Amino acid sequence: MNVRRRMGLFWHRRARRFALPIGGLVITGLMLLPIYFTIESSLAPSSSFQALSQSLVPSHFVLSNYRLAFDEESGSIVTSLLIALGAVVLSVGIALPAAYGLTKLGYLKSRAVISVAIIVLLVTQMVPGISLTLAFYKVFFHLHLLNSIPGLILADSTNGMPFATLVLRAYMGSIPRELSDAAYVDGASEWRTFRSVIAPLAVPGIVTAGLFVFLFAWGDFLYAYTLTAGGNVTPLTKGILSFFTNNTVNWGGVLATVVLAAIPSGLILSFGQRYVMGGLRAGALKG
Amino acid sequence: MNRKLPREERTLSERQATWSVRAKVGANEALTLARPADYGHGTSGRPARQAGLWHWMRSHQRQAILLAFVVPALTYVILFFAYPLIYGFTMSVEKIGFIGQSGPYIGLHNYRVEINDPVTREALIDTAIFLVASLFFQFTIGLGIASYFSRRFFLSGFLRSLIIIPWLFPPIASGTIFAIMFAGQGGIIDETLLSLHLISSPIFWFDSAFKAMFVIIFVNIWIGIPFNAVLLYSGLQDIPNELREASALDGASVWQRFRYITVPLLRPVSLIVIMLGIIYTVKTFDLVIVLTNGGPDNGSQLMSTWAYTLAFQNFETGQGAAVANMLFIFCMIVAFFYIRATRREVAVA
Repeated sequence: MNVRRRMGLFWHRRARRFALPIGGLVITGLMLLPIYFTIESSLAPSSSFQALSQSLVPSHFVLSNYRLAFDEESGSIVTSLLIALGAVVLSVGIALPAAYGLTKLGYLKSRAVISVAIIVLLVTQMVPGISLTLAFYKVFFHLHLLNSIPGLILADSTNGMPFATLVLRAYMGSIPRELSDAAYVDGASEWRTFRSVIAPLAVPGIVTAGLFVFLFAWGDFLYAYTLTAGGNVTPLTKGILSFFTNNTVNWGGVLATVVLAAIPSGLILSFGQRYVMGGLRAGALKG
Repeated sequence: MNRKLPREERTLSERQATWSVRAKVGANEALTLARPADYGHGTSGRPARQAGLWHWMRSHQRQAILLAFVVPALTYVILFFAYPLIYGFTMSVEKIGFIGQSGPYIGLHNYRVEINDPVTREALIDTAIFLVASLFFQFTIGLGIASYFSRRFFLSGFLRSLIIIPWLFPPIASGTIFAIMFAGQGGIIDETLLSLHLISSPIFWFDSAFKAMFVIIFVNIWIGIPFNAVLLYSGLQDIPNELREASALDGASVWQRFRYITVPLLRPVSLIVIMLGIIYTVKTFDLVIVLTNGGPDNGSQLMSTWAYTLAFQNFETGQGAAVANMLFIFCMIVAFFYIRATRREVAVA
């Protein structure tokens, strides 16, 4: 019995040393296989359909697919950047004061206002975009906002604004109340407290909210597809679809575009992972 | 009422304390505001109803100023959520063909047409299958990955951060990758299966509704796993290790520890993950458009893409709006349960 137990422990330690990392590598590898396929194919010299699937490790790498992707989609990339940055400015610009107001109303024990506001913000996140976009189309048609970057900024903010408000409110809730109380005792107005005390302290929260709004708007396809129908404003998501459906020859070029579309997410993952994780927890778990 | 009274008294006296602090600081308007009559309600007895908005604003000056900070957000919510939803409802009770037109009121006719339309019924069933299958596998695989990585080992942190990558791809990009991988002739998945002699002739993944739905669900599971894994991982981290160690010392097996410690303590996080999963999944639109465009023969339409197809391609905007509203009502039912489930968390936050 004792020997068996000892052997068990021995294998247990062994397992921790070697089996766990190997298993982890296998799991990660399986999950990332499609990504590997994408990057590999986008760099492979021949992009014909058969060649793509024949060699998992290409003999050498070329950048011609990326040149093609740039020629084809550089305009879309600029359009998507403008839309995403516009959505960040609009959403955070609205969400920041709202989060401040809600946080301070919480101090004043305005429980009813807070619960209603939070429930509204949660519910707005659950409205399916398709239920909004038909009305957006009609209204934008009359306001000449179809096929326009401002129109898409306004529509895309429906994804970002409620989330940004919840994240920022959660963040401001963690700033010690004494700071704004002190400003109040010193005679600072609410606006001044907001501008000079709370907003500067909330910068990490603002970064988190901004990153998420950017990713939402950058990845948006529904509004990009419906609110630009037939027009020449082409966000990258819509550009990928038309590049893909119109192109039956060069899949490598299409996959290079896909890689380009993932670059912002990749950058955010590398440099802002802390913020992303914080935002996920704040937005999803703290409500 | 008896229960309520002391609390109101407390808030009142607290408020007076605040005002008197302010008065000491020397703000003149604070002095005038500190008169109890201006409160307009509370224990001093003056009924609130008489006061009106102006009185309320004066007596609750701080609240009013703080509410002003919320006004832009409120305006945006009214203009970009409330108004389009109401407008969408009016569209669904009108006879509208091309989306730019408007039409006469026809009551619930569009809803009746759509409920009797076999495509709508199939879209409804497909949406339900899509939802259940996606959530089940996203959650179980996500939980498996989360518990695997919650044991610390060499490279675990690094690999954990890599697993998030699929979630950060725009869904349309992921859809494109899989559309190319699943392509019927020469796609890498068919080629691999052929070379392993698992199949003898290429599978054309998009030529039947069943196979098309399989691919859509498969891709959506792949996209959703990281989200589930990340949130469940953080949920697992929040479970104190002492609990597991103590029960291990008491002789609980691995399964018992999972069943009686991990499962109950992970329940709140799991609920939220599943609810958010439902919301993200039921909205899915881009995946279907890029993978199948609803085909073959409308066989893989979800409610969202079917509403789009009706309004923008079949020029039956009224009916499209009706389908979109059915989806909206479903989402609101989920929202109701979500908010009920997270109420405690909201109260704590």
